[in-house]
Amino acid sequence: MSALDFVVLIGSMLGIAIYGIWRTRGRRSLNAYLHGDGQTPWFAIGLSVMATQASAITFLSTPGQGYLGGLGFVQIYFGVPIALIIIAIFFLPIFRRLNVYTAYEFLGRRFDGKTRLLGAALFLVQRGLGAGLTIYAPAIVLTTVFGWPLDLTIICSGLLVIIYTVAGGSDAVTVTQKYQIGIIFAGMVTAFCLLVAKLPAGLNFTDTLALAGGFQKLNAVNFSTNIHERYTFWSGLIGGTFLMLSYFGTDQSQVQRYISGSSLREGRLGLMFNAVCKIPMQFSILLLGVLIFVFYQFEQPPLLFNPASNQYLAQHIGSGQLEALESDFQKTHNQARLQIENWMDARHNGDETGARTAFAAAAAAQQQGEAIRTQAEKTLSAANSGTTANDADYVFITFILQQLPHGVIGLLVAAFFAAALSSKSAELNALGSSTTIDFYRHLVKRDATDAACVAASKWFTAFWGLVAIGFALYAHLVENLIQAVNILGSIFYGVMLGLFVVAFFIRRVGGTAVFWSALTAQALVFVLYFNLTISYLWYPLIGCAACVLFSLIVQVALGATNKSAPASPVS
Amino acid sequence: MKHPAATEPSARESEETGLPFFRSWKSVYLFVLGSFVFWIALLIALTKIFS
Repeated sequence: MSALDFVVLIGSMLGIAIYGIWRTRGRRSLNAYLHGDGQTPWFAIGLSVMATQASAITFLSTPGQGYLGGLGFVQIYFGVPIALIIIAIFFLPIFRRLNVYTAYEFLGRRFDGKTRLLGAALFLVQRGLGAGLTIYAPAIVLTTVFGWPLDLTIICSGLLVIIYTVAGGSDAVTVTQKYQIGIIFAGMVTAFCLLVAKLPAGLNFTDTLALAGGFQKLNAVNFSTNIHERYTFWSGLIGGTFLMLSYFGTDQSQVQRYISGSSLREGRLGLMFNAVCKIPMQFSILLLGVLIFVFYQFEQPPLLFNPASNQYLAQHIGSGQLEALESDFQKTHNQARLQIENWMDARHNGDETGARTAFAAAAAAQQQGEAIRTQAEKTLSAANSGTTANDADYVFITFILQQLPHGVIGLLVAAFFAAALSSKSAELNALGSSTTIDFYRHLVKRDATDAACVAASKWFTAFWGLVAIGFALYAHLVENLIQAVNILGSIFYGVMLGLFVVAFFIRRVGGTAVFWSALTAQALVFVLYFNLTISYLWYPLIGCAACVLFSLIVQVALGATNKSAPASPVS
Repeated sequence: MKHPAATEPSARESEETGLPFFRSWKSVYLFVLGSFVFWIALLIALTKIFS
């Protein structure tokens, strides 16, 4: 990175953080600190919900998913519109009517104190770990590529987000997220435009799609009913709906975003904004990865995108053997490129037979290249290098560094950090809020004043920030980063959703029944996760269904409706 | 645990969208579902045509 890149990166990150602190100075009341000033319009809520979900991992790793696996990953988002409509109709009006600070406060009103604590504890455990991943993921990729000290990157970015989140609370999160997502979009659109401009002059729009499709990169929808396949239409639509319903409906980091609106209308429109935009946004990011794949059919790609993997291979198998692998890889790439150029000529001349023959030859050469890459990955894996994450996480950043001009590099690295800070700040804000409201004020000091709660919330936010930094410093990942985050969520979210489904829709079940059922369901999900090989998208559905079913059975076993539970707020 | 600045949403608030072309929430949800179906159809077409 050049001096210009560093100016863009540091200037934008510090500028937004300082602006967030300045704009939210003087927030003293608990309501203003946890809910904002109550004036947040729907557009700001929509951007805030989007920025909270889209972490740096989304923008670093998803193009790599597109490059290696094509558009199929988009199916995980098929559940978003349905889930958000359900939340807008059922969840949001009740959260607002009860004027809760946290989603788990609602569980306390509907059931009892222990169920509230269980919901909050499930959130704190999985989101506390997730917050570590949120900060670790971009740091590990960027430090590997740039050679920055990993620990220093994690600590500096972690402290920056702690400072402005502690200082300004919920409003600081919303205010900074607006500008952070502006930088993210500016960076991604610039990268997309420059990538399209870099494609060969003779390659038109339909050629590009035909080339990508020929290599199976445009297989966006897979109707397979095999539950072991990770991304299918059905796992995305059914499992994805439960995953997204759990995440948006029960995770305090999201709930806190959309209950901060000035009215029910603002919250609902903010959610609908995401319901409309999420699939096209993820499709565009994946398409960016597919276009990078097309671009690298005409430019020599590295054998492995992760530079640490290449270095490790050189040390482990010897530079001579690595050079031989790279030479073979280059030869197959040149063969594939020659055949693709023949395919383009034949296609433009209307020679269908010639085009088919040339493409078959290109595909064969490309497969040979992939076999060489796979061999290198297996060698790396067999050596148990523990170097870093999946190669997919390094595709986009490698393209940026090798192909884009200075200034734009700084803008895109700023976009990755902006994404990391925006989701991290919302998570810390939610962790601090839940610890204060659901534990400190509920268990420790029931008569705490607003000022004491604000002070406690600041301390807890800082505490969770430090926990996340500590976790990030010792995290070792073995799978693709974005998948690791989703898998972690899938294990816990189903049972959390089950608690809320019972609360909203099954009036006869009381607190004791749902509490023990949720614990049993969570244990079941753990057992299944470690013993089955089904797609992780199914676990939210399994956890939710088990919690609901067990609750009904236990309630029947207990012999009577829980008379102490208040009537369900759903009327 | 009510907090002072929060307001009770009125029945009117839950019915009005304030949008020019979508007067009811039902129409907003139908629009969202319509755009969802549109994107699914587009992705299926992309899969079928270019694979």
